[in-house]
Amino acid sequence: MLDDIRTLLALTLVFAPLSLLSIGGGAALLAEIEHQSVSVHAWTTQREFADLFAISRAAPGPGTMLSTLIGWKVAGLPGALTATVALYLPSSLLVYGAARLWGRWRGSVWHTVVERGLAPIAAGLILAGGIAVLRVSPGGPAVWAAAIASTALILCWPRLHPLALFAAGGGLFGLADAVGLW
Amino acid sequence: MAELEGTAVTPIARKGLTAIFAAFFRLGLMSFGGGTAGWLYREIVERRHWIDDSAFLSGAALARLFPGSSGVNLTIQVGQALRGAHGAVAAGLALLSGPFAVVILLATAYARARQISALHAILDGVAAAAIGLTFATGLKLVQFRLTSVGPLAVTLVTVLCVGVLRWPMIPVVLCVAPISIGLALVSKK
Repeated sequence: MLDDIRTLLALTLVFAPLSLLSIGGGAALLAEIEHQSVSVHAWTTQREFADLFAISRAAPGPGTMLSTLIGWKVAGLPGALTATVALYLPSSLLVYGAARLWGRWRGSVWHTVVERGLAPIAAGLILAGGIAVLRVSPGGPAVWAAAIASTALILCWPRLHPLALFAAGGGLFGLADAVGLW
Repeated sequence: MAELEGTAVTPIARKGLTAIFAAFFRLGLMSFGGGTAGWLYREIVERRHWIDDSAFLSGAALARLFPGSSGVNLTIQVGQALRGAHGAVAAGLALLSGPFAVVILLATAYARARQISALHAILDGVAAAAIGLTFATGLKLVQFRLTSVGPLAVTLVTVLCVGVLRWPMIPVVLCVAPISIGLALVSKK
C-alpha cells in the first residue's frame, strides 16, 4: 500500500514538472521521459519503452498518451490516471488562466489587432506541424505522397469524411504491404 | 462570463455541457496523428459554428505558445469560451477520456499483434491521411487570409523557419509576431 502511494507520487513528480516544460512539442519531452522511465526509475526497459512509444503514436489523441502507458505499466489503472492528470493538468490550468484574461479584453481594438496579427502565424505553425510529423514518420516517400494526395482530396472535396480517408489510407498501405510492394 | 457578453465581436452563445462533452469526446477519438486542431476546426468552426475563424486562429496560436499539448490547450480555451470553467473542464475531460481508454486497450492487444508487419503499414497509412488533414486545415486558413500580401508572407516565413529550417518555434514566433501585429495595425487604418 505504502509502496503504491510512493509509486504514484513518483509518477506525479516526474510528469507534473514536464507538463510546464513541454513548450513547442514533444521532441525534448520525449528524451526526458525516456531518461526518467528507463534510467532513473527503471519503470520500463529500453525495449518496452520503444513499444509503448509505438502504441502511443498509433492511438488517437490530442498529444502524447505515452505518460498514460508508462503509468499503466508501473501501477495499473491508478498509475495511468495519475500520470495522465500529472501531464495535462498543470499546463491546462495555465492556459485556462490565459484564456480568461484574453476573453476579458475581447472587443477592444488591440485585442482585434493582436488576433489578426497572430492568425497568419497560426496557419504557418499548423503547416509546419504537418511537416514535422512527416519528418519523423518511418514510412518514407510513400507516406509523403499519400499525405499530399489526401491534402488535395480534402481541399477538392470538403464533404469527404476524414474517417473514410483514414480508412482508405490504412487499407491502401495494408494492402500494399500484403502484396509486398514495399 | 458577464464581461464577455455585449462587447464581443461575435457573440458566443453558451452551449450545454452535454453537447460540449459529446463534441469533444468525438474529437478526441478522431484525432489521429496529432490532428486535433484540424478536427476541431472542422467540427466546431465549420460544422457547428460555435466559434468563428479569428477566435479559432488566435486560440490555435496561443495553444502552441503555451506549454502542453496544443490540442488540449486549444480545447481548454474553446471550452472556456463556450461555457466558462465548466465548459473547459467538460471539454478537456471529454477530449482525453476516449484516447485514454483506447491506448490502454491497444497496449493490451499489442503484445499479441506486434509481429504482424501489416499492422505497421496500416498505421503509416492512417498517419499519412491524418497529416493530409492537418495540411488542408493550414491551407484553408491561408486562403482565408489571402486578402493582402503581408499576412501571406508571415505565413510563408513561419513555415520556412519552423517547418523547413527547424528553428526553435518560440524565438521565431517572438520575432515574427510583433511584425505581423504591426502589419495588422497598419492595414486597419
